[in-house]
Amino acid sequence: MSSDHLIEFKEVTRTFGSGERAVTAVDRVSLHVDRGEVFGIIGFSGAGKSTLIRMINGLEKPTSGSVTVLGQEISAMRESRLPKVRSRIGMVFQQFNLFHSRTVSGNVAYPLKVAGWSKARRRERVAELLEFVGLAEKAGQHPEELSGGQKQRVGIARALAAEPDILLADESTSALDPNTTGEVLRLLRRANEEFGITIVAITHEMEVIRAIADRVAVMDRGRIVETGRVYDIFSNPRESAEAGFVESALKDRPSAEDVQRIRETVGGRLVTVSLQDSGAVSTVLGSASAHGVTFEIVHGGMNTTKNASYGLLTVAVDGADAAVDAFIAELSSAGRVQEVHG
Amino acid sequence: MIETYRDLDWSYYGPELLGAIGDTIYMVAWAFVFGGIIGLVIGLALYTTRAGGLLANRPVWLLTNFVVNLIRPIPFVILIAALQPVTIAVIGSGIGNDAVVFVMIWASTFAIARIVEQNLVSIDPGVIEAARAMGASRTRIILTVMLPEALGPLILGYTFVIIALTDMSALAGIIGGGGIGNFAIVEGYNRFRPEVTWLAVAVVIVFVQSLQMVGNWAAKKVLRR
Repeated sequence: MSSDHLIEFKEVTRTFGSGERAVTAVDRVSLHVDRGEVFGIIGFSGAGKSTLIRMINGLEKPTSGSVTVLGQEISAMRESRLPKVRSRIGMVFQQFNLFHSRTVSGNVAYPLKVAGWSKARRRERVAELLEFVGLAEKAGQHPEELSGGQKQRVGIARALAAEPDILLADESTSALDPNTTGEVLRLLRRANEEFGITIVAITHEMEVIRAIADRVAVMDRGRIVETGRVYDIFSNPRESAEAGFVESALKDRPSAEDVQRIRETVGGRLVTVSLQDSGAVSTVLGSASAHGVTFEIVHGGMNTTKNASYGLLTVAVDGADAAVDAFIAELSSAGRVQEVHG
Repeated sequence: MIETYRDLDWSYYGPELLGAIGDTIYMVAWAFVFGGIIGLVIGLALYTTRAGGLLANRPVWLLTNFVVNLIRPIPFVILIAALQPVTIAVIGSGIGNDAVVFVMIWASTFAIARIVEQNLVSIDPGVIEAARAMGASRTRIILTVMLPEALGPLILGYTFVIIALTDMSALAGIIGGGGIGNFAIVEGYNRFRPEVTWLAVAVVIVFVQSLQMVGNWAAKKVLRR
């Protein structure tokens, strides 16, 4: 194992129940997460993401295989030995899971009490964190007085309190509206950039992966169907589950109705180009007149991830058949081209 | 001749009544303290050892659940009689206030156990998971997460039990104990003096209402609503 691998799953399987009703939530998963990266795991609900992420801090145990975290095989540890490792792993939850019996600062201070910080240091650290999440003025309030986004920011402050090495984000924005989602994601990204904390985020929202992840694993029915850099997977999805995600996230491929509408006004061949490098594509598009064809962008757009751009663009190409063929062939060298029928 | 409240001989009933109130408070308070603590422990055991609980342990849960179900339905008056040998062995006497307290502890322990369990069940499991994820030990989770999170309903549950204990204490006279219940029967009912019984009724109403008010006030303060 490389010392850079902060988290490593080896052939991990988790089965619930037994006999005929046994359900395999996680199926022979192997993956690793490196220090300082933001690793996203995306999948539909029921894909096994929650079970997977909970094996990182020992809230779930694998049926077989091993999970090594921070150099220790957490999957083999007794419950009584887990607290020590857990104090180095923060966790943010979909439903926030704040303590209602405590104030905002009481919530943030809790993990510090667990870790045995002195009262003076606790007070200092809580103030610092509430400042970081922009809720300094809410310190004395109780969770029920806060909005969803504010609750999650308290959740993040609490998860970061004891200066953990790893932050687990369990559907951290799924209960939030789009505006607040952006707020929370920016905060997670800042935590990664400013404190160098390693983040593992599970989600069913492409948005989350796009905004914060460096690498992503696509999970489908308990299995990791693909792992790679976010940019590669987005621009060139291979497996069906992941293609489904990318498309639902992009909404950039024209629907049958879109195509019908486009057909009413525009002639020529319709193709969708997936762009991994917008520069190369514009060069090709710029050469349209040299090929003796005309084109029109009829659908699609660009998206920006943490460190790259990608997108799907549908163009109508008109001209002599041979010229159109040649033009589309050149487009294929810049990005993946798919014919649009209908 | 119909005697009225005004005709009561206070030089006699006054000290009798005060003594009875003192006995009731004595019995209720001791039974509440012991039953409250033991019941809390058993209630926590019921909740934490259940499947998926913090200390999930099927044999312990089955046994605890069985014992609670066994004792709890026994009517108090029968429990007084049935426990007599145990009472004599532990207290040294099968009669008097202390014997009654002993039986009340049994009855309240198992009532409280169920009430504690029911209130803990309503805690959001996510909050407990959050505490586990932070590395809190199981003891710490019980003391600093479970109990505080359920405190409001627990206060109301305990208020219910202390009033049930007042009810139980009224049967103390059966084995020679005192209290307001005994006063009502011995001084009022048995001597054909309904106004004395009504006096006892009035005292009990004030006693129970006060307890309920204190309980409601405390729960409201904890729940912030």
